[in-house]
Parts: sequence; structure tokens; C-alpha cells
Amino acid sequence: MKTRAPTLADEARRLEELARRARRKLIETACRSKTAHVGSCLSCVDMLVALYFGVLRIERESWDRRDIFVLSKGHAALALYAVLNVRGALDDATLAGYFLDGGSLPAHLDRATHPWIEASAGSLGHGLPMAAGLAYARKLAGSPARVFCLVGDGESEEGSVWECALFAPRLGLDNLTVLLDVNRLQGYGRPQELCAFEPVQDKWAAFGWDVRRLDGHNMAGLLEACRLPACGKPRVLVCDTVKGKGVSFMEDELKWHYYIVTEELRDRAFGELEDPHAG
Amino acid sequence: MRASVAQALFDAAGTNPNLFVVSGDAGFGVLDEFQRRFPHQYVNLGVAEQHAIGFAAGMALAGRKVVVYNIAPFVLYRCYEQVRNDICYQDLPVVLIGTGSGVAYAPAGMTHYSIEDVAVARTLPGLVVLSPADPLETRACMAHALRCGRPTYVRIAKGKEPVLHAQAPESVAEPLVLSEGGGVAVLCHGSVAAEVVQAVRGMERPPRVLSVPMLQPLGGEALRARLEGVGTILTVEEHYEIGGLGSIVADWMAAHNLRFRLRKLGFPHAFIHAVRNSAGLREAAGLSVDRIRAAVAACMAEGGGR
Repeated sequence: MKTRAPTLADEARRLEELARRARRKLIETACRSKTAHVGSCLSCVDMLVALYFGVLRIERESWDRRDIFVLSKGHAALALYAVLNVRGALDDATLAGYFLDGGSLPAHLDRATHPWIEASAGSLGHGLPMAAGLAYARKLAGSPARVFCLVGDGESEEGSVWECALFAPRLGLDNLTVLLDVNRLQGYGRPQELCAFEPVQDKWAAFGWDVRRLDGHNMAGLLEACRLPACGKPRVLVCDTVKGKGVSFMEDELKWHYYIVTEELRDRAFGELEDPHAG
Repeated sequence: MRASVAQALFDAAGTNPNLFVVSGDAGFGVLDEFQRRFPHQYVNLGVAEQHAIGFAAGMALAGRKVVVYNIAPFVLYRCYEQVRNDICYQDLPVVLIGTGSGVAYAPAGMTHYSIEDVAVARTLPGLVVLSPADPLETRACMAHALRCGRPTYVRIAKGKEPVLHAQAPESVAEPLVLSEGGGVAVLCHGSVAAEVVQAVRGMERPPRVLSVPMLQPLGGEALRARLEGVGTILTVEEHYEIGGLGSIVADWMAAHNLRFRLRKLGFPHAFIHAVRNSAGLREAAGLSVDRIRAAVAACMAEGGGR
């Protein structure tokens, strides 16, 4: 029997199911731990799944040569934990200790807690400069590895993000790709209402970055963009997303920066996150 | 001290290709030769201190031995949270070199003084804090910083500080004797040690003068051994009299139930608006040769040793 090679669409479908699984893990863990930032986590799950299942070369090479991912918006740590769990890198027992007294994982990233957490992060605007330093060191060492960094839109109000934006092109960091999670809601408002956030792609382009703007929930588009070859400039993928994506009553709602998932809401969310092909 | 730092970096880079120097747009006349000789081990990350520290941490995550060079406020204050979260929290062996300790850059103005840097630095667990007194201690401090594998802050003055030691100290992990005496021990750090050495010269009852280049962790055991026969400790530092060596010694005494009389000489806890040169500001704070001598004499008169 002859089987055809999987297409990008096939791969995207497979990853979409993995993203649903990661969202279920995320909701379940958020419910158990009674933690906030659920909306901030849900907006970036698809990006994380695309990276960890379709882009990052992680296991086949030594650390020096493997790709690195830095989550700069550290308050989305739970999304990373959930995706790493689905990826098999972080076991259920460890995830179950999330945000619990005497547990294993804090709500913001601590590199010391798990070998797959590449950089500690929580205070905003820290991860990107570190990712740039990693990319630069790799470049100097002649490593083929790439560095990816996920930055929030609210986070982009930090001056340190723009300091990095200013220096990275001059340093030749074409091995660095930033994924900008534009979920259009920050802690207490919308970036565009608080500051001159848009047109954000023009700002990065003016700083000398290769800029693409895409739907941050389109798996095929994410895979394609993350797999683009280096072009001599650092790259930023401006990803339009929805805060709370995947759970209708959380989508684009500021309160889901803070609200706790009750057991009732968890079950409602699970109902929306079932595999449409299952059963 | 700057020349000692430059020489230490130059020598280290020659034998260690992993060494990398990040300048925060500082180093004119100090790093010129270094960047000419080691262009692939140097970058100027400009006037962007938060980024520079995070970037240095990122390079350290990738295994590079990174040294950041800048004026003290710009490696510690402007980017305190990056030093805290990116370097110290992640336990990365980045070396921060802060120049212009105390009021070395006077009358540049308060923004360019660092008279609270020790207080700030010692809030960070695991950060080694070094404050050399002379060019020889500076070399030894650099050697320690490059070797110890810990996050390290090295506080230096500027150029042309006199040599105080007869020979290069082997270790900076312990207090170093600058001159012998008894009854009163003067503990100092940084370039103001030159004033202390001059102040006690020719005194009828000379105190023991100790330089304490490593302020964190404090070499407590060795310090205790060097305080044999001492009743009063006088700390002298070009720093606020709170939060620096005086406070470190007070904490140490409290932790170990030690009964020395403790007197502190340093800058009063206030912003400096006076437009004076370094000597003038030191004088006003009681850190001139004459006023240090008077403070030592007062300690002796208080009962010094017994």
C-alpha cells in the first residue's frame, strides 16, 4: 500500500489537536491551582505548539546546537508547562505541583525548576534581551541553532524590548525570531488605547527587522512563518491572537487576565475543547 | 584601578577565548587596546543598560564568561532588576565592573556618584561584592572575579590611585593588613583606604588598618582572627554610612554575638547637592586625612583596646 507524504495541512490538523489537548491540560491545571492569567496563556498555546511540535530542533543534538525557546511573557508559564507536558518533556506529577504550596512549578518561570525552562522570566521585558544574548553567543560560536522568543503586546511597552529591537539588527542576529503575541488585552486595558501600539509591524520594520504579520491561531501559517530561512535580519512574527482563545466565554475578555476557573467553568471549557473527530 | 582592570581583561582574554567584554558605551582610553586586539570578544551595547545586562545574562546562559563594564550606577541602579532576575536569580557568573566608586567623579553630580552601591549590591544573594583599595588589590579582585564562577560586582574608582600594598595580595577573600597597630582597628574598602593609610602614619598609638576588599561574602573567620587585641572597630568608607561595610560589620557582630565598640565613618544619608571635587566632598563627610586621624584618635581616647 502506498501512503502519501503528509502535507502541511495534515501536519497543521495534527498540531491543532495537540493544541486542544494542551488547552485542556492548561484549564485543568488552572482550575486545580486556582490561578489567574488563563486568557494570557490561551492566546499563545498555538504558537507554543507550532514551535515545540513543528519547529524547534531540540532533542536530536547537544544543547550547544539545539534550538532555544525563551518565553519572555513569563506570566504565560502555565501555557508552556502544558505544552511541554503534552510534548512529554514535563511529567504529570510535576505539572500537578503547579502553583501549589510545596509544589514544583511557580506561576512565573524559574529556570532552576525544570531543565526545559531555558530562562527565568516574569517581570516583563527581560526575556528578549536574554534571547538576543543567547543568539549572539550562538552566532559567535558558529552554531546553526536558532533562538525563538515569545513577547507579549502589553510587554512591548517595556523600554528594554525596544532597546533590544534597536541593537539586534546591528548585531546581525538573523538566528533570532520573535513571536509577538498581539492579543490586544493587557492587565487593565488595551495596548492600542493606552499607547501608540499600532502599527506595530511598521515600528519593528523601521528598526531593521524582517517583519511578517499573521494569524497567531493559524497552525499552517505559524509553521510556515517559523520555518522561513534566515534572511540576514532578525525576524519578528507579529501574531494576531485572541486572549482566551479556544474557550468562547473567555475570548477577548479582560477579566480572564484574572478570573479563576471554577469546576463548573472547567467542564464548560472542556466541552468546547473536545476533539471534533473523537467518538 | 582602571588600568589594572584593563590589563587583567587583556591578559585573561589572551588565554581564555571564552571571555567576552560588554561595554555600556564606556571605556574610552581603557578598553581601546582590548577591542583592537580582541574584536571578537568585545561589543559596545550602547546606552541601553537594561538590555546590556539581559544580553550579558543570555550570553552567560550560552556558556560565555561575560564581563560588563560601565559607570557604577549604570551596572547596578538603572538595571537593578536585570541584575537581580537575569544574573543573580539564574546564578550566572557574569562580572559587573562599576567605575567611579563613591564620589570619584565629583563634581559630576549625584547621578554619577555611587555611595549606595554596596548597600544595593549586598541585597542580592550570591552576588560577590569586591571593592579593592589599590591597583594591586584590583588585579587580585579581577583574578578572583574571573575565576570564582559566581555573579560578581567589582567596584573601582578611576585612575592613578596609589599602591598601598608592599606586594600583591594572594587572596582577596580575607581582610588584608595595610598597617599594624592595636586597640582600634580601622576597616576600610575602596580607594579611600589611601586616606586612611596616610591618616594613621606617625600616630603615637597607631591602629591596625585592614582593607576588606571582599564585602560579600564577608570573610568573617579571618576578620575575627585579625581583630585580636582590638576593642573598637572604626569603619571608613566612601559610601553612605548606612548599608555599607559599617552595616555589614554590625550585622556580623550581631550574628556572632561579638562585643566590639563600633564607630562608622561615611557619607551622611542624604543626597549631595554641593558642587565640590572628590577631596572636598570627602572632607565634608569626614573622610579626609585629618578628619580620619581625628576619628581614630577619638576611638583611642574612648578606650580603644580596653
